[in-house]
Amino acid sequence: MQRSVIKLLVVAIVMTLSTAQLHAKPVNVPVVYYKLPNGLKVVISEDHIAPVVTVGVYYNVGFRVEPKGRTGFAHLFEHMMFQGSANVKKFEHAKFVEANGGSTNGHTDFDYTNYYETLPSNRVEMALWLESDRMRSLDISDENLKNQQNVVSEEVRVNVLNQPYQFFEWIELWKNAFTNWNNAHNGYGELSEINAATIEDVRSFFKTYYAPNNAVLTIVGDVDVAEVKKMVDKHFVGIPAQSTPPKADLSEPAQSKEKRVSQPDKLANLPALATGYHMPAQNSPDFPAMALLVQILQGDDSSRWYQRLVKEKELTLDLTGGLNYFGNEFDYTGPMIMTTRTTYKPGHTADEVLKEMDAVTADVVAKGITDKELADAKVRFRSNFYSQLESSFGKAHLLSVLALFRDDPNQINSLLTPFENVTAAQVKAAAAKYLVASNRTVIDRVPEAKSQSGQQGQQ
Amino acid sequence: MKGTQMKLLISIILVTISSFTSFAQQKTPPPPGAARPLNLPKITERKLGNGLTVILAPLPNVPKVSAILTFRAATTGTDRAAHPGIAQIAAGVANEGTDTRTSKQIKEELRSIGGSLNLGSDADQTNLTATALSEFSSRMFDLMSDVTQHPAFPENELKLAQENTIQQIRANRANPGFLVNERFQKAVFGDHPYGFVVPDEKSINALTRDDLKSFVARYYIPNASHLIVVGDIDVDKTFAEIDKAFGTWKSGALPPDDNPPVPMRDKRQIYFVNRPGSVQSAIYIGNVSIARKHPDYFAIRTADTIYGSSFYSRLTRNIRESKGYTYSPFSSSNTQAKTGSFLAGAFVRNEVTGPTLLEIFYELDKMRVLPVTDEELNAAKEFSTGNFSVELASQLGLAGRINTIYTYGLNKNFIEDFRPKIEALTPADIQKAAAKYFDTYHAAIVIVGDWDKVKDQVTPFGDVTMYDAEGNVVKSE
Repeated sequence: MQRSVIKLLVVAIVMTLSTAQLHAKPVNVPVVYYKLPNGLKVVISEDHIAPVVTVGVYYNVGFRVEPKGRTGFAHLFEHMMFQGSANVKKFEHAKFVEANGGSTNGHTDFDYTNYYETLPSNRVEMALWLESDRMRSLDISDENLKNQQNVVSEEVRVNVLNQPYQFFEWIELWKNAFTNWNNAHNGYGELSEINAATIEDVRSFFKTYYAPNNAVLTIVGDVDVAEVKKMVDKHFVGIPAQSTPPKADLSEPAQSKEKRVSQPDKLANLPALATGYHMPAQNSPDFPAMALLVQILQGDDSSRWYQRLVKEKELTLDLTGGLNYFGNEFDYTGPMIMTTRTTYKPGHTADEVLKEMDAVTADVVAKGITDKELADAKVRFRSNFYSQLESSFGKAHLLSVLALFRDDPNQINSLLTPFENVTAAQVKAAAAKYLVASNRTVIDRVPEAKSQSGQQGQQ
Repeated sequence: MKGTQMKLLISIILVTISSFTSFAQQKTPPPPGAARPLNLPKITERKLGNGLTVILAPLPNVPKVSAILTFRAATTGTDRAAHPGIAQIAAGVANEGTDTRTSKQIKEELRSIGGSLNLGSDADQTNLTATALSEFSSRMFDLMSDVTQHPAFPENELKLAQENTIQQIRANRANPGFLVNERFQKAVFGDHPYGFVVPDEKSINALTRDDLKSFVARYYIPNASHLIVVGDIDVDKTFAEIDKAFGTWKSGALPPDDNPPVPMRDKRQIYFVNRPGSVQSAIYIGNVSIARKHPDYFAIRTADTIYGSSFYSRLTRNIRESKGYTYSPFSSSNTQAKTGSFLAGAFVRNEVTGPTLLEIFYELDKMRVLPVTDEELNAAKEFSTGNFSVELASQLGLAGRINTIYTYGLNKNFIEDFRPKIEALTPADIQKAAAKYFDTYHAAIVIVGDWDKVKDQVTPFGDVTMYDAEGNVVKSE
């Protein structure tokens, strides 16, 4: 009796401590945010932990809005941004960044395209100059377009066409899950359409979308805000604004019944399955609960789907997925599906895999989740969030998309709050509402029969 | 009132000035500002009573902690002949259950501390890498210690791991990247343990729980291990937590290193892995190079930067930006305890397989025959030192860098000495290293692709040995 009271007391104290610690280190990222007269949004965040800076330019254009008949164009255009501008020759962007101790890249996503440099902080003005030169005066030639059409075609071959599964959990799932072409089409692009792009396409895309009033410039790292502001003025103030780009229709009708597709795979040796469930919009009150449900179902090796499929039933080799195929909860704006991909073992069927996934969700719908499960999912969520903030690039990325999509990068310091406030009842309700068969698309990817000679060979 | 007017006036003047200076587009790149302080984290080394070396470096960029525990247990040694793949399987199953925790309990504990824990083995070592929220560091150390000292290798977990490893390797054999790497390691290192990539199915199935237990008892020992901890930590408090978690770990005698020397290649040879239906050829070209501790490390590293491992490299400018043959050509200098390899590679459409081989060799030979320009060398130096400071700004980046110092027995001042050693290099140093290690005359040429589609482009470059995706030698017609 006495002992268990003491134990209870100890447990209570431990719980209090851990709750207190849970909020012991609030996120505190300094944010300076303003707009230039030409409409360019500017975010500056000082961080002096290392002599490093990241400069990012995020344009409010992703592959959803590329023209019909031009799949893959937004990404092809991203490549053209490294082909020179008024004062920087073809590919010299990379030369200047690397010769100044840095690295550079670009990425095309559903709803944004970004360009960034991470380099020693005393070279920050180099990155600003390079970004301003191409924003103001991109140099576009037929020869360079042809060259990058070849390069991008090889990118598609190496990552899609010559690979088993061919990115089916993205490209094929999106094609089938969405009905609006903007959302459904292959954003990496069909080779024929990538190679059909003309110089006029490039010019008009640049003029429409690559304007200062359609972009965010973010500087994060070991810099002085006042000095950097002067550099930003010097290089960006004179770039003229353009008329606001047309707003693309991304609306997606609600799905009313399950979609099932079976596809042969010429290159794969094992079958694989992908599922996609439509997510609530980011501003829906259900969104934070769904984000935690995703964590609980498939966030890590302790998750319910992973434990059931890989460990208990020994049906599948792996299980991966998330609520945004390329990114996180914050770096997109259009409709989204939560995806799951799993390679299953020969001798089993897609139906068996689905049956087990459904049994797990039925259990959440019927019994809900435990308080510990919820608390742990929140810890995991917070830990993942900190990891995103660890590098100057990770921080710049979050600040940029918050400025781009919400016009409020300061939200970085309160971004966790809605997720910390989710209740177990909300998670249960979200499962009942969204994890239903009529809301999902399933693709079964089955290896084509091929000669098995040499299958038993040893080396 | 007056103050406000004054402020207005000042801001009008400022606006005017900035308008004057800003409208013109600057034609030349701006010069760098004054160099900023490096702020290198202070690195402290201590030892536990059982001989475990502990290295601590506070880097409070986020409230997390990252740790790497390295055992000098590798896929090298006598064990390899008797039990191919034992280090890999042991690493894969060690965190699937201990004497007091089930696999699921370990995963759930990791979730509740916002953590991760993974083991992996390469040719020289097994690394246990863990992360957690820093407030839970002691629980992270307890878990690390438990899977290190008391892995249970439960029968059901071992059986599942054996089955899944076999299936995973089958899945990988559809992937050209896996196949080209596997064949390259075997081509360059032959039967040496460094040529080992994955075990065959028979060896995997032969492993028993007792094999794994005795392997771990022999190799996971504190006096032949080091633990690196980087993050939002207090050195003394963290060291006390480590002492508590690892203090009881028993030391032992490490089995002797019985690796044979790596033979040098005696001729140029093509190793072709036939993968019908391929729309690209995956190409690796390379040879044996040097051990990590070799004094040529900085020269070969810099030659690699200029040749193919930076974006503005010679290879990328040639076969990507000029010719459009490929998306991501690269080169890579991989140095290990006993020796290393240097390789150049590209994935190219079938039609340009031959021309790509030609250009890779041309650029390799050019590095051997002509000195690099001062401009190229200076850019490579800036690239190396600048990106080195970016690497050190992340917890796992810094931990990984410290790990190479201890694993390969480098000078403890490696981090401080990095910049002066790079800056001392001359064009002659680069050319000498290239002449020695970019050995095109004896190179291994490994290609994964569709033989029928590309054979006419490939055969002019050397004798061909052909393999199937399983690794069997097959006839080339």
